[in-house]
Amino acid sequence: MDGLALYFRLIRVAVKARMQYRADFFAGVIGVIVMNAVTVTLISIMVSRFRHLNGWTMWEMVFLYCLWLLGHSLYSFFFWHIRALEEYLVEGTFDQFLLRPASPFIMFLGREIQYMGVADLTFATLGVSLAYRNLHLQWSGTQWLFFGLAIISGTLIETTLVLMITCLSFWTGRSRRASQLLNRLNVMVQYYPVDIFGYTFRLIVTGLIPVAFMNYYPTLLLLGKLDPQSPWSWLGYMSPVVALTLVILSSGIWHLALRRYSSAGG
Amino acid sequence: MRLFWVYLLMYSVYWVWKTLYTQSPGAFGVSLKQMVTYAILGMILDIVLDVGPEWYIANQVRTGAIDTDLMKPLDFHFHMLARSAGEMLFGLGILALPAFAIGYFLFDLQPPGDATTSLLFAMSVLFSFFVFFHIGFLLGALTVITLDIRSIAWAYYALISFFSGQMVPLWLFPDFLRKISELLPFQAIYYIPISIYIRTLNGSAALRALGLQVFWAIVLGFVARWAWNRVHARLTVQGG
Repeated sequence: MDGLALYFRLIRVAVKARMQYRADFFAGVIGVIVMNAVTVTLISIMVSRFRHLNGWTMWEMVFLYCLWLLGHSLYSFFFWHIRALEEYLVEGTFDQFLLRPASPFIMFLGREIQYMGVADLTFATLGVSLAYRNLHLQWSGTQWLFFGLAIISGTLIETTLVLMITCLSFWTGRSRRASQLLNRLNVMVQYYPVDIFGYTFRLIVTGLIPVAFMNYYPTLLLLGKLDPQSPWSWLGYMSPVVALTLVILSSGIWHLALRRYSSAGG
Repeated sequence: MRLFWVYLLMYSVYWVWKTLYTQSPGAFGVSLKQMVTYAILGMILDIVLDVGPEWYIANQVRTGAIDTDLMKPLDFHFHMLARSAGEMLFGLGILALPAFAIGYFLFDLQPPGDATTSLLFAMSVLFSFFVFFHIGFLLGALTVITLDIRSIAWAYYALISFFSGQMVPLWLFPDFLRKISELLPFQAIYYIPISIYIRTLNGSAALRALGLQVFWAIVLGFVARWAWNRVHARLTVQGG
């Protein structure tokens, strides 16, 4: 718990540092909102012109994208900095975190925040509420709870995947290529329901790099699109389990990586 | 490695359009083959045309290295044009042609048409390069005033890919959005050349579209020169 308090203190400092460039902050926020709006409009045009995409209507697609974005926004606000690890390792500046009397993970994470997450969060909240209204959804308490869990799971899934990939650079020095692959898969999963793609692709984003659990499977459950006949319908409930497994796995890898660490000097 | 990303992207748009077209074949008078070709060419042209003179200028302005560019006995506008043309040819040879080959064999793209269509398409791509270059150049000129474009860039790229019809062709747009897109120069970047390739624009309509591209290339060329002369006068070099 001490670690958590320390973390939030570091984050407060990072926010203050960021807010020194206020104009840049607002320009960035508006930019990201415009980008999201354009994306959603394009999807909407495409889907509404054809009425639906493999049974997914326009608002269901909006929900799918915004659920992804909710998880992603929290990831990008708090954990974006993980990507910078590679630079610290290459330049040999990672040593500073190991020299302090606190968990190196927390010291490293608290270094900076990515404020663009604010814009994503705003947009995604708006998108989900519009979709909720237009799809005439009436969730029970349990469903709301699962919705919350799905968002947190989404954040954790993306965070842990990024962390594990970045940890590769403890061994290889570089990990940029691998994280680009994750980005690309994410881009495909975030906009389109996985069921339009081929079998191999579905297998990859479900089993190997499970980004489909960030939005696709929970959306099936929350929008009542699960087919109870299908032997795979339990996948709809699995997001929290997947997230938890990944957290355990990635924390193991992180500690292994720290033991492996030898400074590049610098 | 970038070819693999291009492949993944092709794969996703291929399945999206295929699914949509299984639901309603031949929608809007365009076949699935034409549509897939449209979408994939949109990505391939992006590799060729998006040479980003704005990033070069922004970087030079931020680091102050722009003064060495300005000291050269060479017109800056022309220097940037030559530089971008070089990058375009590089992108064409190293990435675009192989990507097209992959698309052709794996996703059943429409092969290039007869000599006239191919010629019109090649001319159209050249003009769209001029249009896209000048829009980027204008954005680059803006950095002399704002000193940074990273936050503007998000919105800029999103709007370009929207109004240029890079991902979704203009004929699918609702009427008012379509009218707006037709008034803007962006359609000259992707929509016109690709439509000529898949022959939804042909005959006199294709020639008119080419004329429109030339019009925008010239207008934007003049605006870019004028804007650069204006900002050049108030350029502050940071460090250096």
